[in-house]
Amino acid sequence: MVTPDLVSEEDIVKLIIPDNLPDEEPTFKAYIEAKVYDKEGHLIQYHRQPMRSLTQYFLALMAIPIIGTYQGASINQAPVILTNVLGLPSSLSGNYSANILWDWAIQLGSGTQAFSPTLTGLAAPILNGTGAGELSYGSLSVSYVGSTIYISIQVTNTTSSAISVTEIGLIGTIYIQYNNSSINKYSFLFSYDTFSTAVSVPALGMAVFQITLSFTG
Amino acid sequence: MIGKGIEGIDINMPKDAYDTGKDTPTFRAYLTIIVRDSEGKVVKVHRQKSHSPTANFIGLMLPLTYFNVTGNSYTLKNTGGTTYNYKPAINPTAQCISYPYSFSNYPSYIVMIQVGSGQQSNPYTAYSLAAPIANGSGTGQLIYGQPSVPSNVTVSGIEAYFTISQTFNNNSGGTVTITEVGIITYLQFSESYNASYFNFGQVLVWYDVLSSSISVANGGSVTIYYTFTINP
Repeated sequence: MVTPDLVSEEDIVKLIIPDNLPDEEPTFKAYIEAKVYDKEGHLIQYHRQPMRSLTQYFLALMAIPIIGTYQGASINQAPVILTNVLGLPSSLSGNYSANILWDWAIQLGSGTQAFSPTLTGLAAPILNGTGAGELSYGSLSVSYVGSTIYISIQVTNTTSSAISVTEIGLIGTIYIQYNNSSINKYSFLFSYDTFSTAVSVPALGMAVFQITLSFTG
Repeated sequence: MIGKGIEGIDINMPKDAYDTGKDTPTFRAYLTIIVRDSEGKVVKVHRQKSHSPTANFIGLMLPLTYFNVTGNSYTLKNTGGTTYNYKPAINPTAQCISYPYSFSNYPSYIVMIQVGSGQQSNPYTAYSLAAPIANGSGTGQLIYGQPSVPSNVTVSGIEAYFTISQTFNNNSGGTVTITEVGIITYLQFSESYNASYFNFGQVLVWYDVLSSSISVANGGSVTIYYTFTINP
């Protein structure tokens, strides 16, 4: 029999999110950087700020390596946290077998909005293109050193006017492959931040935006 | 052409990066350990920040673009020390983490929060606990309960978190001391082209050495909570 505790179940809920631990090194640090070049290739602005705003979808993605994709060794259904938060199916039907993988992308925007962990998109995404107010997105680059992952993208402003970037998001796409060549796609906003000062990409200039996710280990 | 190097620019953290009052970490992980005696009374509450995703975790988090652009694979190491070159791809013959399916299943799932009586100095490279405490009622052993996984992410304001937990009972006849904790996931990689797969086995994805050891008396129990939170 469990006798009355020094700590009640309600207290345990509070204990698992402690707010009074010593101010140690954080587990995770994230930064956003932007380097802006003019049309002659001169570096004209460097901006760096802490990232503050991961979403619940990033947290759910982290859950996949931690809890897996099945409820158990003999339960052939996805964990409920994945179906509830990410909207993934509990299972799929067809021949052969199924697997899961994911990719990331950087999206820039020209708006602002209040952050919420359930946010699903930027306020005013800057489209990929050469039209007014658009930026040409280059290829994404991903690398890692130890427990730090770097994601960067180069954008070019081919228009005749400067384009102001005020928000940045890490976009995630989860793929489930099954039945030989069938693929289901699920897209999410993994992080959302507004720049503390706008980043202006000059006409015919370019910029490199980088997100750094550092698990300090 | 890029004519001017970054060395000509002040690359120190700009003042406006320090947004006073909001310069908090984006993510934290916590360990909460509650020890009970043989009568179920709480005799100790241990809390500490968790610091240590392993190299396996980092590799499993990497996005597809990393593998596509570099052409590299990532070497995972299971608890037995066997390696696997992980290289997911949009390709029916690529081996990726298995997913529940009607035709064939190769479950990838959380096995346990594992506890141990050793410690190692570099959690990042750890692929197993230094001295795992076995599941049982023999000397120095603990009876492992099932890991508990939440059904949702809890959102409160801008903060969100989920917690996994597991309880261990001590019927060993003596006190058992815990000094290290880790999360073990079982991984299998399957193709969508056919039913072929690779059974990789148990993988350590998170590891922590406790800031102070935890003693569980005979007849007592210990519950370990791992909490992962964003925007704390």
